[in-house]
Amino acid sequence: MARKRWTFAIALMLVLALFAAACGSDDGGSSSGDEEFKIAFVHVGPTADKGWSWAHDQGAKYLEANMPGVKITTLESIDEGPDSQRVFEDLAADGNTLIFGTSFGYMDPMLAAAENFPDVTFVHATGYKTSDNMGNYFGAAEEGRYLSGMAAGERTETNLIGYVAAFPIPEVLRGINAFTLGVREINPDAEVQVVWTSTWLDPTKEGDAAQALLDAGADVIAMHQDTPAPGQKAEAAGAGWVGYNTDMSEFAPNGWLTAAIWDWGPFYLTTAEAVKAGTWKPEVVYGHMADGMVDIASFGPSVSDEMQALIETRKQEIIDGTFAVFPDPIVNQDGVEQPLGDIFGMDFFVEGVIGSPKS
Amino acid sequence: MTRRLIVEPRGLAPWWLKLLIPVASVFAALIVGALFLSLTGNDWFEVYGKMLDTAFGSGRGFAETLVSATPLILTGVAAAIAFRMLVWNIGGEGQLIFGAIVAAGVGIWLSGSTPPIIAITAVVIAGAVGGAFWASLSAVPKVYLGTNEIITTLMLNFIALNLMQYLVLGSFSPWRDPEATQFPQGRPIIDTGRIPEFFHRLDWGLFIAIAVAVLAWFVISKTRSGFEYRIVGDSFDTARYAGIKVPKKVLGTFLASGAAAGLAGSILVAGILGKMDPRSLDLGLGFIGIIVAALARLNPIAIIPVAILMGALNNAGPALQSIGVPSATVTILQGAILLFAVAGEFLIANRFRRPDRTPEDAEMKAEVSAA
Repeated sequence: MARKRWTFAIALMLVLALFAAACGSDDGGSSSGDEEFKIAFVHVGPTADKGWSWAHDQGAKYLEANMPGVKITTLESIDEGPDSQRVFEDLAADGNTLIFGTSFGYMDPMLAAAENFPDVTFVHATGYKTSDNMGNYFGAAEEGRYLSGMAAGERTETNLIGYVAAFPIPEVLRGINAFTLGVREINPDAEVQVVWTSTWLDPTKEGDAAQALLDAGADVIAMHQDTPAPGQKAEAAGAGWVGYNTDMSEFAPNGWLTAAIWDWGPFYLTTAEAVKAGTWKPEVVYGHMADGMVDIASFGPSVSDEMQALIETRKQEIIDGTFAVFPDPIVNQDGVEQPLGDIFGMDFFVEGVIGSPKS
Repeated sequence: MTRRLIVEPRGLAPWWLKLLIPVASVFAALIVGALFLSLTGNDWFEVYGKMLDTAFGSGRGFAETLVSATPLILTGVAAAIAFRMLVWNIGGEGQLIFGAIVAAGVGIWLSGSTPPIIAITAVVIAGAVGGAFWASLSAVPKVYLGTNEIITTLMLNFIALNLMQYLVLGSFSPWRDPEATQFPQGRPIIDTGRIPEFFHRLDWGLFIAIAVAVLAWFVISKTRSGFEYRIVGDSFDTARYAGIKVPKKVLGTFLASGAAAGLAGSILVAGILGKMDPRSLDLGLGFIGIIVAALARLNPIAIIPVAILMGALNNAGPALQSIGVPSATVTILQGAILLFAVAGEFLIANRFRRPDRTPEDAEMKAEVSAA
């Protein structure tokens, strides 16, 4: 009896192995001939998410359009964790000379792959580890968050704004705090209620969280995750919506206010040119509104002309360096003034946020 | 007159058929896959070449295939030994996660100066104990109160998953790395608790997994206890009539199944991961183990090559995207290969015949049975 099942599995392996021998031989030759500059992108979500991964994919497309002779390979929906090391190494073995990984969880796997492929340049988004051939990059989303908060502060009538948040980590806390500061510049009585979903991309959970906030009386929804689900709930309830990552106004044309958005294209282009010219150095890049990595999306119909003008003024001040999003010292959730400290380790909420910064 | 086909169990299939059908079904899958790839504008020859080159074409590629196969062997064994006993443990996922939690807990708690042999043994066994404990939460109520283990094991998967997320993402527990402030991560276990790698990323955990599969086969096929086990697996009533203590057997099987799944968790923690991290363990390995067990027809030895095939399919996926095949197409292709493999299995166990049996048919059947 045991033998029967054995043979099946072994036969399967044999066929595959024979096939490998037959096909494998002509595979090696094809990659060595051409001189094109190969760049690969690895995303955690689908590039069609219209959120985080989509924004990075737009950057890749910008790079492709502006750099002659470049060949871009894009891998989407690649799980974080140990599996991704293999994915990075396969790309390096395939002749890619520059590899971008656009999610935090790729950090350690990428570091290990970078060690095994010292001639390939690895660049990692949102992490903090670097090596001889690995750099990282991220940007000050808080600058856009502050401006989008101003639009939300104008819109709210119940003075309760709901914030669908991902994980209680410094990046997300920075976003919530900057947003709240923007809200309260315009409307000092408004409060921002935070709900944690522990997700980056789960439309059902994120939509449910938005609905719970709407049921609690919020009339504007802000969010951090990669899907437009919270916006669709807000639109259905007649509430306002502040998105993130990209201009998602098409999902909620009436509720749309604006969003902090990313423009990764120029960074990708300069990085690729530096690698090609041999001048690339492993560094920690933190982009700003001033260099165009962070911006604010188009305004929805309910944002008044005066508010749009005020936001534009504030934006120019941020670019000029005359306005700081986070004051130092800063008033925390308990109404107590405290030193701002390192914003990359931010672990508190500012005054006006309802909820716990520890989930 | 209408002639319909009747499906009937084949009994003992001739040896050449057992070889021919799997080979033919894989070829059928490849042909249908090639058709599908051509229709969607891909070069099927290039795609197949890439798949095989990725999974088996280089030392590193094959090592990676075995890396992906290692936890699947264990979760496959976990499912197989339970299912053969009619214990529907679909909680391999949760048992793997809880095993990883306990293993990482021990690996963090141990002193850094613990000698490797003791540290590795402690971490690996802790995972098995953790998995068995998580299984006992379903096993004890099943045996003594008659609760349905399908529901309890399934629900406990979600509890384990949320517990793991809470320990690292939602709290400042000892499992969370205090040095990772930007994003919560699992705390690394002590270095001496790590299973050494011997080729690229492949570590000795592979041989632990293979040993467990062989052990499961040996106990079931060659021991008295295994004989009783098989009787229970055929019929609870027969077993009871034969004087076998069914509840004790069911409990033992359930715990062994959980231990195997927990071992998959601890081998990941002590091996390739080095920590208990939610993003690295929420991959559905326990559920894929059920597919592996089903494809291997619950035979622990057959699980080894089937797990390797699954590992190869898994690794080929991202590689295919790199030659321009969309990720959804890759998933469909992987599904087609598995579907044909299962369908082929059905043809080994069953056969079609016409309802109006002629004397020649009866003769043929006798010949087949004799062979």
